[in-house]
Amino acid sequence: MEAFLSGFISLGDPKLLLILLAATLGGVVIGALPGLNATNGAALLLPFTLSMEAIPAIASLVAIYCSATFAGAITAILINTPGTPASATTCLDGYPLAQRGEAGRALGLAVVSSTIGGVLSVICLMLAAPLLARMAYQFAPPEYFALTLFGLSMLASIGEGSPLKNLISGAFGVFLALVGVDMLTSVERFTFGSHDLYDGIGFVPVMIGIFGISELIVQASSLDKKRERVSMKAVQLPNRDDYRKVWKAILRSSGIGTFIGILPAEGATVASMIGYNEAKRWSKTPEQFGNGAIEGIAGSEAANNAATGGAMVPTLALGIPGSATAAVILAGLMVHGIRPGPSMFTEQANFAYTIFWSMMLVNLMFLLVGLTGAKIFARITLIPTQVLWPCVFMISIVGAYALDQSMFDVWIVLISGIIGFFMRRYGFSVVPLAIGLILGEMLEQRLGQSMVMLDEKWWLMFTRPLSLLFFCLTIAALFGPVLWTKYLVRLFK
Amino acid sequence: MSKRIPKHNFEPWVVNFLITSFCGATFWISTTFDRMPPILKRGIQPSDFPQLILILILILTVTMIWFDPIIVDERLDSKTLGSIVLLAVFGGLTFIDLFLSLGVTAALLAIFWTERRWHVVLGIGLMMPALIFLLFDQVFEIRFPRGVLTNLWYG
Repeated sequence: MEAFLSGFISLGDPKLLLILLAATLGGVVIGALPGLNATNGAALLLPFTLSMEAIPAIASLVAIYCSATFAGAITAILINTPGTPASATTCLDGYPLAQRGEAGRALGLAVVSSTIGGVLSVICLMLAAPLLARMAYQFAPPEYFALTLFGLSMLASIGEGSPLKNLISGAFGVFLALVGVDMLTSVERFTFGSHDLYDGIGFVPVMIGIFGISELIVQASSLDKKRERVSMKAVQLPNRDDYRKVWKAILRSSGIGTFIGILPAEGATVASMIGYNEAKRWSKTPEQFGNGAIEGIAGSEAANNAATGGAMVPTLALGIPGSATAAVILAGLMVHGIRPGPSMFTEQANFAYTIFWSMMLVNLMFLLVGLTGAKIFARITLIPTQVLWPCVFMISIVGAYALDQSMFDVWIVLISGIIGFFMRRYGFSVVPLAIGLILGEMLEQRLGQSMVMLDEKWWLMFTRPLSLLFFCLTIAALFGPVLWTKYLVRLFK
Repeated sequence: MSKRIPKHNFEPWVVNFLITSFCGATFWISTTFDRMPPILKRGIQPSDFPQLILILILILTVTMIWFDPIIVDERLDSKTLGSIVLLAVFGGLTFIDLFLSLGVTAALLAIFWTERRWHVVLGIGLMMPALIFLLFDQVFEIRFPRGVLTNLWYG
């Protein structure tokens, strides 16, 4: 309780408030720019947080996460191009509504739904994360190993890419995490005598490369895409009739988004898809969906913003990223010397609660920013790709260099950017690679510790109830989607 | 616009070959790692886990070839290929000066991506690198590698 209150009081620091406001504005700009999203935005801005203390640094990353997730709706509604993948479903009803001259109403609904979804998920985060952390105190290395394996197995079912390709991508990420001197035995692995590789491949340059530079190459093929912007007078707050129509969809999607967010590796994109589908399924007028149904906007936006709070639960309580952006935030925590996990809620409880309260504040901040500045942010969508991306390129390179003041990191950015582009071209999502890279070292350490603890009898891991549960969940995550699809096909036949 | 891919496309097979050869080569390298005596190995040998992961990647790749093969819908267009070449040019120019290469690459990228307004190109190639340099040098106190241009600042 003391940490809960002191976290709230920490928000009184004017410097932190200023940083949060700047990060919220920055996040909205990032989210409003087609091609840039919360993940690559956070990866690009991570080097800028290095000179900050841990609290403002992580709070600003979290602010970018929340506000960029919301701001994807601006482009989705005004130019029919989702600013972030999570707002793809917002296009379906937001753009038709905007075309009917109700862009302000659509944006107002998106802002309010996002805020409600975000706030509810942060409340859930405040309650669930410490509970989960307390439960995780009972975990020994075998349980952690099984849990990490479960987190990685969830990569099979993330939104983009096929399960097999996602798993290959995740395993490749785990492999990259093994490069360098082995922590347990001090044996060099895959360093090829290079001193730069002794400490392994840094995850921040890899993330800047796979999320930033690969997107730059992807953008090259969409230069001839013309965007037509729908004009908007001002953002309108939903009226009483609107609220009456959408409150159920907002609450339902907030719950769905939070739950999906808590699942390791699942993020806002999957949440918004399910949130939208459920809004349609429960609607009294499902035929209006796709033609400007306000429940569609509310369902999609409440879910994708609720997923941000949900995703932070496993990230902070267990050190397992709940989404791609949470993986970047996890990297930020590690860069600042903070190891997320159960001990965070006892040893650094003030830090954890300040982050929670910051998230809460950011959700309220983008309500104000969205209502007052959406018209200005809508103009940002008009920045030409050929101006934006060369600037993003320069910031990516200099940011990566600034991490360790090493040209080696610049090379890592370039190589991982090109590899990331080709991975995406061949259907391999880059998100599992990032998550695998972060979890790889932990997975090996926990396996080694488990083997020592169990006297090298690895099969004893299956005799421990909690680790057995996680192994079963791993199998369910790997084969569940395939079996479920087969079952549904048979059912409908 | 990107062109449709011809019927007999070998690109997926090149990718499959690259993945399997990568696994084979790194597996072989992992067999050369030092082995620890039982008292020091802390549960697993340094080569065990990488080998486990490589075998997993190999099994998944074979399964992918069988059940979920790579499908390439479109050829790489000239803009994409050119952008990758420009990134390589950037890599080569960094040996002369990091900020010179950043400015040149960014300006060339903008021109290659059909930007024709000279003041915009100048802004991207000159103003932006200068602003980024000053921001990181003065605010974040980052020391950049010496080169033709940075030497002028550092003296």
